[in-house]
Amino acid sequence: MTRSGRRDVLRVCSLLLALVVVAAVASRADAQGGRSEAPAGQMTWAVHFSLAPTFFDPAETPGIITPFLVLYALHDGLVKPMPGKPQAGSLAESWSVSADGLVYEFVLRPGVKFHNGDPVTTEDVKFSFDRYKGAGATIMKARMAAVEVVDQQRIRFRLKQPWADFMTFFGTPATGAAWIVPKKYVEQVGDEGFKKAPVGAGPYRFVAFKPGVELILEAHEDYWRKTPAVKTLVLRHIPDESTRLAALKRGEVDVAYSITGPLAEEVKRSPGLALAPTYFTFTTWLVSTDKWDSKSPWHDRRVRRAANLAIDRAGINNAVYLGLSKLAHSFIPQGMEYFWAPPPYLFDAKAAKRLLVEAGYPNGFDAGDLTGDTIYGVAIGEPVANYLQQVGIRVRLRPMERVAFFKEYGEKKLSGVIFSGSGAPGNAPTRLEQYAVTGGRYTYGAYPDVDGLFTEQVNEMNPRVRQQILHKMQQLIHEKVMFGPVIEPAFLNGVGPRLEVHGLGLVANHAYSAPYEDLRLRKP
Amino acid sequence: MKRYIVKRVGFAAISLVLLSVTIFLLVRLTGDPTVLLVEPGASQADMEAIRKQFGLDRPLWVQYGHFVSSLVRGDLGHSFYYRTPVLELYLSRLPSSLLLASAAMAFSLVIGIPTGIIAAVRVNQWWDSAGKVFALLGLSLPSFWVGLLLILFFSVYLGWLPSSGSGTAAHLLMPAFALGWYFAAAHMRLTRSSMLDVLGSEYVKLARLKGLPEALVIGKHAFKNALIPVLTLAGINLVIMVNVAVVVETVFAWPGIGRLLYEGIAFRDFPVVQATVILNGAMVVVVSLLVDILYAVIDPRIRFAR
Repeated sequence: MTRSGRRDVLRVCSLLLALVVVAAVASRADAQGGRSEAPAGQMTWAVHFSLAPTFFDPAETPGIITPFLVLYALHDGLVKPMPGKPQAGSLAESWSVSADGLVYEFVLRPGVKFHNGDPVTTEDVKFSFDRYKGAGATIMKARMAAVEVVDQQRIRFRLKQPWADFMTFFGTPATGAAWIVPKKYVEQVGDEGFKKAPVGAGPYRFVAFKPGVELILEAHEDYWRKTPAVKTLVLRHIPDESTRLAALKRGEVDVAYSITGPLAEEVKRSPGLALAPTYFTFTTWLVSTDKWDSKSPWHDRRVRRAANLAIDRAGINNAVYLGLSKLAHSFIPQGMEYFWAPPPYLFDAKAAKRLLVEAGYPNGFDAGDLTGDTIYGVAIGEPVANYLQQVGIRVRLRPMERVAFFKEYGEKKLSGVIFSGSGAPGNAPTRLEQYAVTGGRYTYGAYPDVDGLFTEQVNEMNPRVRQQILHKMQQLIHEKVMFGPVIEPAFLNGVGPRLEVHGLGLVANHAYSAPYEDLRLRKP
Repeated sequence: MKRYIVKRVGFAAISLVLLSVTIFLLVRLTGDPTVLLVEPGASQADMEAIRKQFGLDRPLWVQYGHFVSSLVRGDLGHSFYYRTPVLELYLSRLPSSLLLASAAMAFSLVIGIPTGIIAAVRVNQWWDSAGKVFALLGLSLPSFWVGLLLILFFSVYLGWLPSSGSGTAAHLLMPAFALGWYFAAAHMRLTRSSMLDVLGSEYVKLARLKGLPEALVIGKHAFKNALIPVLTLAGINLVIMVNVAVVVETVFAWPGIGRLLYEGIAFRDFPVVQATVILNGAMVVVVSLLVDILYAVIDPRIRFAR
């Protein structure tokens, strides 16, 4: 080969090498979702509830989903729900469970830093768990033998006994125990100081907060997963629904949370605006309190089945939620772990009437009150009452103020039919425990075989076996027609024209925009 | 005079004590706030933990004792929802409420007084009828409806004003109008009736007989005296505006005390409701006390009356 030929070969090889390097870097960046551009622009939300400083501290996470609206921005968890994954490793690169189910070991992602530059360490993880006092804290700490820092990367949670639901409590919005705060900083500023100027490891850092007005956040460019595309996030509290819509129409905000009924239709009609439904673990269902009384018509399974066939779920969905909610055929939400999909109850008023005739009620019967809260108990309860009336199940709608309703419900003081609902995070067993098993806070009656299966699954560590037991349990509940599932209400939101990725619905069972680092504005 | 003031201060103190007892008991009649702080279906352990944290597991009389002893020390407790000191929350919202109330008051006086004067001077004529219609509308149209109409017209259709929020003068215009609208009508009615009384008095007739120009009779002799009850009412109304702006503040997302109270009620945030009602009540009591004392200073008959 001549000298110039060798040079050409070298040139080609160099070029190929350069291409390989560029491709490798690009693919790595792509794998991490990394972006090279600096964050730019501002996204504004009209939030329907007042943001509270308590939401800035994961240690105080109550058993409601609202704080996660802020937590996903400011903080990061060892494990948290992410797009396509109900439990994704975030600050934890990986985790494992010992064969005896007693030890959960988490390996920290290396090089992750808090907003103040401090590295995220296993000491921070232990500190965060120890100071956690929010929802589920009592149960988790009672079951925990020790939290052991193995080294700078590894930490172990040692349980007293195997607990099948540990990760449900730890790694989902059921609690905020997996969300990590910087030990050094919290000790330095104290709990109150932390709420005034929170520091986390999330994709956005705290800039300013005016109680009752707005929260301003700015992109944390060193966020491990990717550099956020949007520089500034503003979460503005606008309590009135009509005003939220007006702000969306004017372009003052990009997303307006919780737009319902005629206003949602208005969003659909408005050019440039879009309606984005999200779903969380919320569902509604009927409970007959008289079912356990042998003299009551509800004691007859055919009557309960008739009630289920009498309700036009799709009609209610179209009328109240513009067809965007999910029809419920179980009182366990479809997005919950261990959900069993029962055969659907198809609307059939004639079949319902026939069943009532067979049960000995050709002229129907007086079923007493249909008691619900003043929100869903009216919006959905009213059409349900009308459908029941149409087949002869005569109920009187009795809306109760929310607190009074749940108080009387929990104290088992309600009679007739209850319009029930729950959005508590967790999984199927946590929902079953409260409503369908003896001793449950809202259980008006239970069956021994259902109770037996519940006890059986509690300590079952094999997920497949446990799933079989829980599916069997739900099957029995369906066969016995314990409940009258109605609808899983959608959470409707208005979205403005500036957004390319609004983040609504990306994370399953999460009502709000997330993950924030994935949000994008349209290019002008 | 000293005895009179001591007596009035005593009455004011009794009013506040009664208010504190009433509000303490009334908020607790509304039910268990833990129900709203967790999702329905939350575990019993979580609910118990919250009750314990907020002291709701203790007997009522112990809770009241703690409430009163804290109140005496100037501690209004911690919000269940915000988990921050209530006094801090209240004070952070007070400037916004005072600003809104002042703007609404200015609006109500600027509109109410001139229309009241014109209606009285042109009594039973077109201007008077127009004033009556204005008063009727002002007193009967609910402020939330007026507020929504304003947003629809000035924000959505014309795009002139921001739909909600605070921070600039433009943010203040619509809420001030919506809040001041009712009070403008009230001030207009009082100005009109007060002016009519004064215009029919002997000294005004004398002024006219003396051949003074009508503008001078109205502006100098009648208006000054007619203004006294209007300004007295305006002073009390200013305090009332701070307290009744709940709906307007909610519609316009105005960060005032009214919205704090609304949120407190919605979340059964007992400490917030108690503190807001007591502090707002104290505001009304103090202003009433000052008015009583001022009246007594001006009119000796009041201080010697039994």
